Formats: sequence, C-alpha cells, structure tokens
Amino acid sequence: MQLEKIDDYRWLIPRTYKAGMLTDTVIFASELLLEAIRRDQSLEQAANVAMLPGIVGRALAMPDIHQGYGFPIGGVAAVDEQHGVVSPGGVGFDINCGVRLLSSNVTLKEVKPKLRDLVHQLFRDIPSGTGQSGRLNISDSDLNQLLEKGPRWAIEHDMGSEADLDHTEERGCLAGADAYAVSARAKQRGKPQLGTLGSGNHFLEVQYVDEVFDEKTAGQYNLSKDRIVVLIHTGSRGLGHQVCTDYVSQLDEAMRRYDLHVPDRQLACAPIHSPEGQRYLHAMAASANFAWTNRQLIAHATRGAFKRILGDSVNLPLIYDVAHNIAKLETHTIDGSKKRVLVHRKGATRAFPNQPVFIPGSMGTASYFLLGQETAMRETFGTACHGAGRVLSRSAAKKGVTAKEIQKELESRGIIVESLTREGLTEEKPEAYKDIEAVVDVVHNAGLASRVARLRPIGVIKG
Amino acid sequence: MFELLEHTSDIGVLARGATREEALVAASKGLVSILVDPAPFRPLEERHFKARGSDEVAQIVNWLNEIVFFFDTDGLVFVDFQIDAWTATEIVGRARGERFDIDRHEFRTGVKAVTYHQFESHSIPDGWEIRVFVDV
Repeated sequence: MQLEKIDDYRWLIPRTYKAGMLTDTVIFASELLLEAIRRDQSLEQAANVAMLPGIVGRALAMPDIHQGYGFPIGGVAAVDEQHGVVSPGGVGFDINCGVRLLSSNVTLKEVKPKLRDLVHQLFRDIPSGTGQSGRLNISDSDLNQLLEKGPRWAIEHDMGSEADLDHTEERGCLAGADAYAVSARAKQRGKPQLGTLGSGNHFLEVQYVDEVFDEKTAGQYNLSKDRIVVLIHTGSRGLGHQVCTDYVSQLDEAMRRYDLHVPDRQLACAPIHSPEGQRYLHAMAASANFAWTNRQLIAHATRGAFKRILGDSVNLPLIYDVAHNIAKLETHTIDGSKKRVLVHRKGATRAFPNQPVFIPGSMGTASYFLLGQETAMRETFGTACHGAGRVLSRSAAKKGVTAKEIQKELESRGIIVESLTREGLTEEKPEAYKDIEAVVDVVHNAGLASRVARLRPIGVIKG
Repeated sequence: MFELLEHTSDIGVLARGATREEALVAASKGLVSILVDPAPFRPLEERHFKARGSDEVAQIVNWLNEIVFFFDTDGLVFVDFQIDAWTATEIVGRARGERFDIDRHEFRTGVKAVTYHQFESHSIPDGWEIRVFVDV
C-alpha cells in the first residue's frame, strides 16, 4: 500500500485508496515502525475503519497497530451520535480491557530482599481464572449491582476507598449501564471469573521507577526514582467476551434491516439510536463497569499481599485506571464546530490533556507513564496508543524457546516471573512485540502524550 | 483433520473433512486443542448443542462458541462431537468430554471468542473445508 507521508510521525491512507472509504485514515508511526506494521493486514484494516457508517473526522491508527478482527488493534473511529453506528467489533471482545497503576510508599531497595515471597504471594492471591475460580462467591443480585455501579460496589464491601474512584476513568461507572441488557450466559461466564487476571497478554507487574522525564508531574503522583509501583492489565473476562459475542450475532442480523454494509462481518453494527444499538451500549457499559470492578478487586488483593509480606505500613494508592477497549460518547471539535460523537477505541487509550496514560511494554522490558496533551484533542479525539503491539504470531513466538529458558533469562536480569501456563511465557516473550521505546517516541514526538516516567519490572505474574 | 494457522495476535483453525459435518467436528477439535492438550480427556459428560443462525457462517460460529462457553462455565473439555441435524436455521448436536482439572491437565490459552473474521466454509475436491479465527 502506498502511504502519503504527512511528517515523520503521520502517514495518510487517502479516502480514494478503495471504494467505500468515507474519510481518510491517518497512521501515527515512524518509518521504522511502519516496516513492522506492513507485515500483516493492519493497514488494510485501518482503511476499513474509514468505512464505518457515520464516521466523522479521520479514521486513526496508533503506532502499536496490529491485525485484529475487522478493526485493527490500535484503531480509533468517531461516529456522529445522531447518524452514526455503534460496532461491537470496534470495541473488541475484551470490553474495557485496561490498565491500572498503583503507586506505593516503598522503594526498590526495601522490596528486593523479599521479592520472591512477594511475587509468590501475589500469584497465590490473584487467580488467573482458568481451572480455578475467583476468590469471591457473589450472589446474582450482587452481580447485577456491580454491573450498574462499578467499583463503588467493591468499596461498599470494604474492598477499596473513595480515593480509588477519584482516580478511575468515569469514576468506574459508565452511564447507561443496564444489567438486564447482559445475557444470562454472559453472567454465567463472568461471575466465577470476577477478581481474576485471565490469560494471554494480561498480567500484573511489580515495577520500579527507572527514569523520570517530567519531575513536576511525577512529583504530583509521589513518584521518584526507584519508587515501587504496580501495573495491572486485565479486562471484563468472560462476561465482556460473551456480551460482544451475543451482540455481534444480533447486530449481524440487524444490519440487513437497516441496510448497512461493512467490509468484514466482524464489524457488524447498528445505528446508535436503534433499539439494537442502544441495547449493546447498555450491555457494553455494564461490562465496562465489571472490568473496572475486576481491576479494583485485583488491586485490593495486591494491597493485601504487599501488607502480608512487607508489613502493615505499606500503602498502594491508585494513580489512575484507564480503559483501552471502549466506545464513549464525547464532545469534540471537528472542522471548527463542536459535535457529540461516539469514539470507538480498540486497543487505544483515552489521553485527554493532563490525564495519566499508561503504555505497557512487553514482559521484561519497560512500561511508560505519560500525560495526555492538547494535540491529542485536536488530532485523535484525545487518544494515544495502548501498548507495544505484537509483531510475532503466537506460534512464531513459541518456536525455539522454552518457558524455563525465558524464566531463567528474566531472572538473570532480576525479574521474577510466575505463570500458570508455559504459553503465558513463550507466547508473550519480549521479542513478540514491537520496541516500546519506538512506540512511545512516536506518541511523545507527535505530541499526543508526553513522557513522565519509565517503569521497569522486577516481578511478573501471568495466567 | 485440522491445522492451526498463524495470525499476528491470535490463532486460526483450518479444518477439513469428507463432509461439512466432519469438517465442523474437526474444527471443534482444533478449537479444543488451542485451549488445552486434549490427549488425556475422556468422553464422560455430555452436553447438547443448539447453534442457531441466519446462515451457515453464523451457525458454525455459534456452534464453536458453545465449546468456549462450556469450558468457561463448567470447565468442560470436549473430545467427542456428534452432529444430529443441520437445517437452514440451526445445527443440533452433542458433545462429550471431561472437566478440566488444573492438577492433572495442561491448560494452554484462554479463548475469548470465535470470530467471523476471514471465515471460510466451502466444498473442496475431496470434501469440505472450514477456516475460522479465534480471539485469544
């Protein structure tokens, strides 16, 4: 595909590239990253995003873009609230997959001697959720409540504080959530998985602040060199997966009634204001609330594990919790006028000015804490990327390496890893992902979010 | 007969059989092999599958999603599949398997869902072929 270079970090797929594109697509990437991006179908999928009925502004792709289903991972689209569609495929199966960063009052030096015990305790206290249920046994009525309230439900049950809500996107409760829009099957799948991490690329990492780029902002969050932090990456588990499955199937049928056409059936959609579109948005919001509660419960278990190993004086306040698979109604300025739009972010993080943005790297490398910037509001509907982005398929990643070798190699670099499965290590090895530094460079230099601090892992737990 | 396919973030199954039904059984076994090592599992418990859909694609996707659903809810790993009827609106059948036990069995990767992405189901010179990608 021939891309038009706008500048060193922006590339254009013009709407004339293929029939059906309603707008241009802008790719945020460096020349180096484009080489990796070109290896799969992600650019073709980024062009498909521009075909979403009702899309306004430009379709966007973040520097960690890689091939997904219909939408690429790292794809962003805003659609007109009045005339546009909602596409569950533009949110993804893992609704409100996201990251939460906890700060602490301890340093690398204090934690290192007890690191092995700490990682082991975290691995025991936070189940992956496969072949082992979560530690909570909640009633159907509790589940319905938390679907509509989000982590406030957990706080009412002494599993967190009001301050946690203050530092969660949407205070952990997306408007419009309706527990009755979530099918019985989705609830059956999700209930035993509440408070669990999941498998694949989900993880919990104990990290330390390796470098500070913005002293003032870091200081506001009580972060300085060698401070210990915890990064939690997971989502809405089987509940969200089933909600997406249910609604892709329903909207696939509804599209015919509304005479809508999309280039990939996985992008099934319905008008935002149709009964089907509204019902999906109610269920998606409930799933998002489930995910925020899930991360709240994991944070609660993390705090318990830290206290058990390091003593009662250890505190782990929440810095921020942000979603990276979600569709949200927001007001943005497009072509000079304010407009209500539904922003689909699939594998992309909201990055409003001065909002914390977390970009996890691959296992064993670094993660970044950034701050959203004004440019993001002007160019990306307030969005930055969400990770490093895969380059190797899972089977390619597994070739020629064993889980033991990866574990040993990481230990030699001072990183202790516990994983339920061999695949959790081999498929997620650092080389399976793009270089996090290259991805963060693009986000920083394009002005979408600015670097605050680099975080390096010392303990990893995985499903 | 099935083989697993490469995809940057996820995994595909390419399944073949002498008939469409056999190809679906092969795709079902392929999906199970993504979740766990299926070798030690026995056909001890049975579940009825009913996969409705407006066309063959939706029916196959919904059938395969039953496997994901029963694994997540009952921990069931199916090793034996039987298709009793395949009409214009649904596939009806049965699956037999055993419950996953973390102390005895090897878990591989969690499957979020079966997708419509790059889906194929068509006849080939010596039978039928189904290609499906799953989100893991």
